[in-house]
Amino acid sequence: MSESMSKRLAAIAKPLACFAVLVLIWQYGAPLAGIPSYVLPLPTEIAQRFIETFSVQMQGLAMTAFTTLAGLGLALVVGVLLALLIIYVPLLGSMITPLLAAFNSIPKIAIAPLFVIWFGLGYESKVLLAFLLALFPIFVNSVTGLGEIEADLIDLSTLAGGNRWRIFVKVRLMNAVPYIADAVKVAFPLALVGSIVGEFIGGNSGIGHIILSGQFNLDTPLVFATLLSITLFTTLGIGAVSLFENAFLTWRPSQRRR
Amino acid sequence: MSVDIRNVSKSFRSTLAVDDASLALEEGSFVSIVGPSGCGKSTLLRLVAGLIRPSSGTIDVRGVPVKGPLRNIGMVFQSPVLLPWRRTLDNILFVAEMGGLKTSQWRERALELMQLAGLGGFEASYPHELSGGMQQRASICRAMLLKPPLILMDEPFGALDVITRERMGYALQTLWDESRSTVLFVTHSITEAVLLSDTVVVMTPRPGRIRDIVPIDLPRPRHPGTLREPRFLELSERVREGIEAQWME
Ligand SMILES: Nc1ncnc2c1ncn2[C@@H]1O[C@H](COP(=O)(O)OP(=O)(O)O)[C@@H](O)[C@H]1O
Ligand SMILES: [Mg+2]
Repeated sequence: MSESMSKRLAAIAKPLACFAVLVLIWQYGAPLAGIPSYVLPLPTEIAQRFIETFSVQMQGLAMTAFTTLAGLGLALVVGVLLALLIIYVPLLGSMITPLLAAFNSIPKIAIAPLFVIWFGLGYESKVLLAFLLALFPIFVNSVTGLGEIEADLIDLSTLAGGNRWRIFVKVRLMNAVPYIADAVKVAFPLALVGSIVGEFIGGNSGIGHIILSGQFNLDTPLVFATLLSITLFTTLGIGAVSLFENAFLTWRPSQRRR
Repeated sequence: MSVDIRNVSKSFRSTLAVDDASLALEEGSFVSIVGPSGCGKSTLLRLVAGLIRPSSGTIDVRGVPVKGPLRNIGMVFQSPVLLPWRRTLDNILFVAEMGGLKTSQWRERALELMQLAGLGGFEASYPHELSGGMQQRASICRAMLLKPPLILMDEPFGALDVITRERMGYALQTLWDESRSTVLFVTHSITEAVLLSDTVVVMTPRPGRIRDIVPIDLPRPRHPGTLREPRFLELSERVREGIEAQWME
């Protein structure tokens, strides 16, 4: 127990130490190299700006977090439902899958302005963009997780008296959970990209808006401070997924203690 | 339960997998099918289970024609197919859940079966924490949990090493003795078939045909000493002849 604790501490301490060294080099090296603050502000300047603008940062973050998580949640529901449709209605699957793949090859960022035309400058266009970016990885992993079940297992379940519903809940869904957890790790940053790009394109709220105003005023420390806020958010998000994995997916090969 | 296979054939497109098989299983008997791979053993098992329909012929289970998948039989495959996210005890109780039964009422029996199979103490272990032999014993316990009248086993020990395999045979005998389900057991091993069975069915490939049906009159329970009895060697020889005869053709 104490051994695994110290191992875990070491796992955190090592990258942290590396980061600290980099920050020190930055802090004392940048002035020596003559890099001006509007190009690369010092870590202390960034920290100061972060504290000054903290309440604005948190307001922006709340908005961005809302559109990101709403888009992600929507993508989860739609992605899993689409996957179900494809597994249980193979004919529909053979019709939908190529269309989805083709649609996915369109850069969503390129059609973002269209969403502003359709849905305005409010949160709707951001949620939609976050949703579209998050949808595909969740859909693909759901198809794998729900569909790739050993035929022997389905036979065995059927012969024991299992009906479609029980097999779905106790076999397919359970099998899909780790796949979906993996998909969320990919889809969450993508949804965040969707939200921020949406904020870049229009509107007057969210993290993306703060970054734009930093750029407009040549307030580079503000831009960096906002990046810090984003990192805070993504760390929390990925941390939540990891907590979930540690609590419920201990049986996974990648989670097994060595 | 009694199983009556009458003139059953099954072809997949151009392959005749099972050709005119007739076989009767008495209630509570242990019947083995031996034969080289590709001779239609798995197909015959799937036909009895109702997972596939025969191209011709009929299969009756307890006098009722099989029309679709049977809903109360046990199944064991070559791989254990345990659910990796369930602990061993919950894996065994899985079939109760599939049957829509209260798991609390089967817990006691599951624990007993695990004791009999030498899995006591591993109730809370995940499958990946068990050896291959232990996983397969868990999967046999699962097949036996609901005291199904019929259990189908498709080369259940095929993936195990020889030493483990022999011990598994005795473990299976112990478990079967307790439930006395009718068992249809597929294997490549003549020794295993003769040691465990009341009847050994010899099949030959392309097309899959039943060549011989050998009643095994060795006293039960069988034990390592049985392997050295003259009668055992005699019966094994007869099964071997059935398999070798095809090489001569
Ligand atoms: N679903 C299937 N489709 C086409 N051919 C099959 C199918 N299942 C089995 N076969 C063929 O039927 C024959 C018997 O197969 P199988 O019953 O699996 O043999 P065994 O279990 O004795 O090794 C083989 O030639 C195999 O290729
Ligand atoms: Mg087979």
